[in-house]
Amino acid sequence: MLDFALIVHSETWSGAAAVISALRGPDRPPIPFEDVREIIPWIPPRALCRVSVESAKGHRVHGLCIDCFIPPDRLEGTFLRENLARVRQAAAYAIRERARIVSLGGFSSILLEGKMDILPQHPETAFTTGNTLTVALIVRGIERALDLGGRELSESNVLIVGASGDVGSGCARCLAPKVRRLLLCARNPDRLRRFASEFSGLRIPVEAGTDLLKLAPKADVVICAASATRPIEMLQALPPGAIVCDAGYPKNFPPGCAPQGGAVFFGGHAQASAGIRLDPDLLGVIYPYPLPNVAHACLLEGIALALEKRFEPFSVGRGSITPARVDEIWRIADGHGIGLPPLFNREGLVSVPPMAQELHR
Amino acid sequence: MHECCSVEDAQVWGDVLAQAVTGELVGALNYEALAELYDDVGEKAEALEHAAGERAHAAMFSAAGRDLGIEVTVNLQAQYWKRIRSAFLARAQAADLVDCILAQEVMLESFAVASYQVAAAAAPGRLGSTFGRIAAEEAEHVAHAIEMLQAERARDPGGFDASVYRVHGQVMPALAEMIAREDPSGYCGLCKGNCVKASLRRVGLRLSDVRGASLRRYLQTLDEIGVPGELSLGWVAQLPL
Repeated sequence: MLDFALIVHSETWSGAAAVISALRGPDRPPIPFEDVREIIPWIPPRALCRVSVESAKGHRVHGLCIDCFIPPDRLEGTFLRENLARVRQAAAYAIRERARIVSLGGFSSILLEGKMDILPQHPETAFTTGNTLTVALIVRGIERALDLGGRELSESNVLIVGASGDVGSGCARCLAPKVRRLLLCARNPDRLRRFASEFSGLRIPVEAGTDLLKLAPKADVVICAASATRPIEMLQALPPGAIVCDAGYPKNFPPGCAPQGGAVFFGGHAQASAGIRLDPDLLGVIYPYPLPNVAHACLLEGIALALEKRFEPFSVGRGSITPARVDEIWRIADGHGIGLPPLFNREGLVSVPPMAQELHR
Repeated sequence: MHECCSVEDAQVWGDVLAQAVTGELVGALNYEALAELYDDVGEKAEALEHAAGERAHAAMFSAAGRDLGIEVTVNLQAQYWKRIRSAFLARAQAADLVDCILAQEVMLESFAVASYQVAAAAAPGRLGSTFGRIAAEEAEHVAHAIEMLQAERARDPGGFDASVYRVHGQVMPALAEMIAREDPSGYCGLCKGNCVKASLRRVGLRLSDVRGASLRRYLQTLDEIGVPGELSLGWVAQLPL
């Protein structure tokens, strides 16, 4: 019996090609890019590697990383039926391998929109979206970024993109009592309106809208909990010195993009300080980041729960993440040495410049 | 000439059929060699039935070619098929029954089922139904092997997986090269004119579909036998694609 399984997929074609090249080994020439694009869609969901993770308390859990091989250019609604079939097959694979808890990484949980009953069921296998730990890491990332820049959360106007989604709404609930102003942006106006009404009792101003470029100039902190419609224009619309946490899937901003005098860092990642080992060793290929033992927090939620021997569907549904649950999963993860890594993005470690007086409104 | 097929299209199908007929005849020879390895009379008889079935398939494909006005080429010395046959014979000479079953009933038959299904979807009229019918019969051969190999693997998973990897390395590279975008080893020995791969699209066939479907079927067959997915994925990734 396995402690856990992680359902993953490549975010980009270059990422998928890197995984295939790594599996081929250094002595074989890489498969031409166009061949990778042709072959990936045919590969049935299957294990990519074995995973073992050690806890700061000395516990060790063993699992499997299952790639559902969603082609990176099909991460959109048009391919919903095909992609759901792949996620279901990957889930069935996890059940067959007798995984006790399964984390739904990246797009696999986005696709389900909280409808976990779409997945095959088994009494000994629990599924979690991992979104609660993702929220915890995003919120702590924002707090760390502001701290590094010598700024206060209570003085910040925080804009959440994808605010009515599972991760976005969780971030909003956690941050609302702590910020100066909360700006909520989402594509679905009805859902956004319903969600924004949750905050009507708060003393801070809350503004909700579907037009990102109207809200952006009012924000000095942005959480992209989803893909932004016009990410570059949004960056340009932000005031100087703004801090942006990119937790979108796929990522919103190409390398080198940041607001003037501000910073963009990746959100929703966690670091397992006692080590993550993959066999074959694909960790640096899947996560070509400047830090060791870093992975998506949604995946590490299942691992943290396995280390805690809590094989339960911790994060399910949509829009039900509360600050209390975020604190709970944070305590569990932190207890096993799974925490916030130094801030980074695709280019390396990120420093947050102090807000210059002349930039501060 | 076939009522729904131009002369040019018939030439393309003729080259496709040449691969199919030659593959079926190699299969027939392999099953005859397999029959020699069985102690069990029932299994021996079944292997000989399979051999006869493969010859019947070859005859059906040849007849389908004649319907199109094409005399289908047969060449057991065609380079890829010769390599595959040699690999099989080496395992047969070593009297390794499991290796032989892996080569013929898992690797070659998985490839046959998948590629015939792709051809069946594109081929006109009776040719399409011929490919479809033969694909279904070949699928039965694969199913027969899966059951036996599951039991074999249960006895010694590590040793079994090592055997699969060894046979994979002897058989699958030739199959992968055969369906690669370009022939890495030059003329295949079966096409009547230029390499047929460049002309497949004119009859509605896509080489990428043949490659993808073949690899998928092979992986699924290994999954059913119980080979860990991360192993089979690594093996397939190492093929000369």
